[in-house]
Amino acid sequence: MPPLIQARGLAKRFGKQIALDHVDFAVEPGRIVGLIGPNGAGKTTALRAILGLASYEGELEVLGREPFGARALLMREATFIADVAVLPAWLRVEQAVEFVAGVHPRFRRERAQELLAKAEIAGARRIGALSKGMRTMVHLALTMAIDARLLVLDEPTLGLDILARRGFYDALVNDYMDETRTILITTHQVEEVENLLTDVIFIDRGRIVLDCSVEDIGARYAAVAVAEDKVIAARAEHPFYERPMLGKKVLYFEQPDFDKLAAFGEVVAPTVADLFVAKVSEGRAA
Amino acid sequence: MKTYLCLVRREFWENRAIWIMPCCIGGALVIAALSGHVEIAQADLPEQNRSVAAMALFAFGAVFYIALSIYSCWYLLECLYADRKDRSVLFWKSMPVSDTATVLSKLFVGLIAIPAVYFAVADLSTLLMAGIVSARTSLAGALWQPKFWLQLQVLWVYAILTSAIWYLPVCGWLLVVSAWAKRAVVLWAILPPLAAILVERLFTGTHVIANMVNGRLFGYRHAAFYDPTQHHEWSMRAGDPAAALAGVGSPLGLGSFLSNPETWIGALCGAGLIAVAVQLRMRRAEA
Repeated sequence: MPPLIQARGLAKRFGKQIALDHVDFAVEPGRIVGLIGPNGAGKTTALRAILGLASYEGELEVLGREPFGARALLMREATFIADVAVLPAWLRVEQAVEFVAGVHPRFRRERAQELLAKAEIAGARRIGALSKGMRTMVHLALTMAIDARLLVLDEPTLGLDILARRGFYDALVNDYMDETRTILITTHQVEEVENLLTDVIFIDRGRIVLDCSVEDIGARYAAVAVAEDKVIAARAEHPFYERPMLGKKVLYFEQPDFDKLAAFGEVVAPTVADLFVAKVSEGRAA
Repeated sequence: MKTYLCLVRREFWENRAIWIMPCCIGGALVIAALSGHVEIAQADLPEQNRSVAAMALFAFGAVFYIALSIYSCWYLLECLYADRKDRSVLFWKSMPVSDTATVLSKLFVGLIAIPAVYFAVADLSTLLMAGIVSARTSLAGALWQPKFWLQLQVLWVYAILTSAIWYLPVCGWLLVVSAWAKRAVVLWAILPPLAAILVERLFTGTHVIANMVNGRLFGYRHAAFYDPTQHHEWSMRAGDPAAALAGVGSPLGLGSFLSNPETWIGALCGAGLIAVAVQLRMRRAEA
């Protein structure tokens, strides 16, 4: 199957500032991909380009289309939640359902109503009268009732409390995700999504610093907690990043030689969050 | 078509003032008719009565029309800016609705739907008011004159349609500002034309832009009606029903309006500006 999203030399600049510096990446169908980067890394710029919300340079194909100028067509098969609380305050919940049902050919009204009932949100209420967490659930209910092949989430849980965040991701994984769908999530809160993702793309300062499936992380990267007396010897194996931890140093290795590393301490696969910090720091030091 | 219907309905959900404002004006008129002194009943001659009554109805219509013009301008200036300001544009843009459809639906609401609502409410409230005044003055038909009422209907429809064409460049400009400005839409709508006028005057000493703006803003009556000052006389001359029907269109300068090159040059500029607004809408996702 061809990739759902294919970017080659994707670039965008705002005046002198380079937001995206000719990046290449692909998103395969059926995956949950995390586009992870610090604030201002170019995540949102990349998403805007993918969703047809902004112009760009380079090659970009989403669901077989160039997104800019074809947003309306694209949105029949793809949908997105950009940030929390973008539903307008004046809109009633039932009006939102009515509207989406009217303009979206792949929207299932019953499904939305079912999800709203489950979240105990009454249709007559205005969005403005709902809590931030409830607004997010309304938006998620509308989105999940759309039979889309690609769902893009841009910092979907920003500013929500932990209960609302959990509820959001639980609903997403249990009630929405299946093999016909693909989800692309951007976030800078890595810990929150790391158990969810099948693939990660790290982005910093407009460049991609890592593009890897989660299951490959263990084979491609290793973290070793090394005691002080062995650090110099361990450094000979070319760690790309190290950080102190409780009197030891954690060294990170790419394409590691596991047999050699075992001599310095316990070798583990780094968590996505740790790997992210390591790769971004490496990129910035270079 | 269904999409456009949904888009128009959405505008009515968001802008409840579309209904509330004319209803307030209409309500005020009806209350005035119920409680005020009815002076017109004191006119002696039936002919005079009718003349005064016709003028009153016409004046009430004018009140609605002025309120409508102001509100429509405000609506067009605000419509593409409001959802960028509250960021809900990111929700609307997640729907399979093109930016062209969005902009055109808003243009339709500003030019046709809002005037139609004002027309309906104006009709209803003047009818109510005429009925009340007639009942109170015991002069049956003092304000209720079918012929004049009919003429007023034609006048409304004519005014809505011709002003939609005439003011297209103004509306296009308002939509461009609404799609583009990051803040202070009112200032952005007014200042650039003003600056252009001043710059022209300063450097070339001419008034071409000033005349163009002036002609567009205040030239509508002249372009669309033969002689607007003669208006109420026209309604009086229509003595019998047949003549009234025949005379309905007499002050309406449809032929000269449609054959006036200014009408179509303006409409063309308007279409161009609307295309620009669509392009801006495509590129701007936030205020």
